[in-house]
Amino acid sequence: MTTTPAFTEETLDIAGTSLQLRRGGSGEPLLILHGELGVPDWLQAHELLAKHYSVYVPSLPGFGTSSFPDWLMSVRDLSTWVSWFVRAHGLSTPLNVIGFSLGGWIAAELATANSHIFSKMVLVGAGGIKPREGEIWDYFLHSAKEAFQQSFHDHESAEYLKYYGKDWTPDEADQVETNREAAIRYLWRPYMHSITLPDLLPAIATPTLLVWGRQDGIVPISSCELYKEGIPGARAAVLEECGHMPEMEKPEEFTKTVLEFLGG
Amino acid sequence: MFIGHFTEEPWQVDNWPDEWGTGIHKVSNAEYDPKRAANLYNRYLDEKIYAEEVGFDGLMVNEHHSAPFCMNGVANVQASILARITSKVKILLLGNILPIHDDPLWLAEQLAMIDVISRGRLIPGIVRGSGGESISHNIPPHYNRERFEEAHDFLIKTWTTPGPFRWESKHYQYRYVNPWAVPYQKPHPPIWVPGTSSRETVEWCARHRYPYVMLSTQLELTREMFKVYYETAEEEGYAAGPQHMGYMFFVHVEETKARAMEVGRTLTQGVRSPFDPGVQRPIPWIMSPPGLNSRKAVALRRQMTAPDATGKTRAGALASFEDQVATRGMIVGTPEQCVEDIRYIMEYLRPGIIIFRTGDGAMDHESQMRTLKLMGEEVLPAMREIAKELDLPGPYEVDPATNEAVEALAS
Repeated sequence: MTTTPAFTEETLDIAGTSLQLRRGGSGEPLLILHGELGVPDWLQAHELLAKHYSVYVPSLPGFGTSSFPDWLMSVRDLSTWVSWFVRAHGLSTPLNVIGFSLGGWIAAELATANSHIFSKMVLVGAGGIKPREGEIWDYFLHSAKEAFQQSFHDHESAEYLKYYGKDWTPDEADQVETNREAAIRYLWRPYMHSITLPDLLPAIATPTLLVWGRQDGIVPISSCELYKEGIPGARAAVLEECGHMPEMEKPEEFTKTVLEFLGG
Repeated sequence: MFIGHFTEEPWQVDNWPDEWGTGIHKVSNAEYDPKRAANLYNRYLDEKIYAEEVGFDGLMVNEHHSAPFCMNGVANVQASILARITSKVKILLLGNILPIHDDPLWLAEQLAMIDVISRGRLIPGIVRGSGGESISHNIPPHYNRERFEEAHDFLIKTWTTPGPFRWESKHYQYRYVNPWAVPYQKPHPPIWVPGTSSRETVEWCARHRYPYVMLSTQLELTREMFKVYYETAEEEGYAAGPQHMGYMFFVHVEETKARAMEVGRTLTQGVRSPFDPGVQRPIPWIMSPPGLNSRKAVALRRQMTAPDATGKTRAGALASFEDQVATRGMIVGTPEQCVEDIRYIMEYLRPGIIIFRTGDGAMDHESQMRTLKLMGEEVLPAMREIAKELDLPGPYEVDPATNEAVEALAS
């Protein structure tokens, strides 16, 4: 299947930042919160979702070409920033959100504090909870290349090869480093989890779908179970033969799963 | 002229596999044999006592973490011991890794106690540390410079301002700063800063008028960094001089050149420092995690460690023992030959501080004692004469903070 990407990319002065925003599609807004490795492009999954929604993919502060104000020191700060962005950009609420890894953690934090902002929430390989079994893979004891290898189960999948399984240009390598510099500030300690979030999950009133790759090599699947136990009514969908980035590794299966939940 | 002694204090063992390299973040401490360690720690302390006896002005101690090439995980422990078992030598810490301290008040009091017990012989140098230190102590690398500067300001205030007072900065907060121990030296013990190639650090150092000691760096690069210091000092409205400039290099002295080459070679064997010429840098993302250094500094370092067409690097990362001897990165020879080479360095760099790095790598105790004896008898006295001739005052002859003459260091 081929699609012709139709999206715009702009830089907005908004919510205290100079923000890189990719947007495509039409209809109700769908907010995408990317993971700790950033988002390299308008992805196939974005394009598939944009057939049904007006899809917003901001590069979170510090990532991509977005600026990185000093005051952003934690994931909770970041969740406050997301709330600011949604209001400042005039997105109608409640709106649907998909959060990937770090982005899932941000969405969960926000949903604990504000039950009116999201209509439905999809958390994909979400960080934020210390797994019951295993450990969250340490990005900072490994190289950037290794991080992408670890994030994918299938190293022949199209978007892995397109963005990561190749030699980077100096600009691409520079962007990867920029994203690592942002990630380290948000995630350093406690490493990629919150001490208090588990106790706050029962405060979430937003219908929630958890999506995990069975072979997630970054956030162990036992974190999915903890999210499911914590968030009232949460459902889980586990994708087989899939790693930490289902949206890039299995875009069609991932999108189908998500659309069923959002549209149902 | 201030002449110091330094050994990295490496772990020494016969069967260290090549692939373990420096051992940083690679080798389990299951390999640490406390009985062997006891012998090594005591050997290194014996050598330091002897270095004082033969006439060195200072004993330099440093620390690294999860790092077999440097057995000193806590420099202040050794400094505390030296405060009691030596009597006149300066105890030079280069240094405490400020950013990895979550509680710099504890550090301020430790250093004050060492200064007091030694009756004012402590030089509590400070460093930012490499990524490995941040990883071992789980300290945010991206706030390294901010924490360094805040902890520095906190130490100085704690040492110079009667307590109690409150301290609230971005990374450190205290409601009651009032340690009972305050330093012996007034207004506070002298701060020195070591460096390898960070322009930002040299500039910071020059702005504070702190002596800056380049560690085992290539001569030309060292002179460039000194130039940055001189230029920054000029911008700050004072004239920098030899009292602000320090340089450390490897030295091994024997009665004959052949023996010196044979034994000196052991400096480049065994468990080596990753910062040394001839040693491949360990895992780059651990040495320099995201945000630890500015992109500019990382690019500069990459440029310095990248080999040119001949396989040589500006930082000398691929240099062999012979190369290092030929380029005066290592001074190895008879006392006369060493003095001649050291004279060249003194003329070329005009430092007021020279630190001999000796007894390092795989060198044995007997060889280190033998070279220390020759250093004391022949090399140090000759260097002091050359320093007079070239007018190279050390920081105990001309005060770096004021540029005023101070009482000459008794030696």
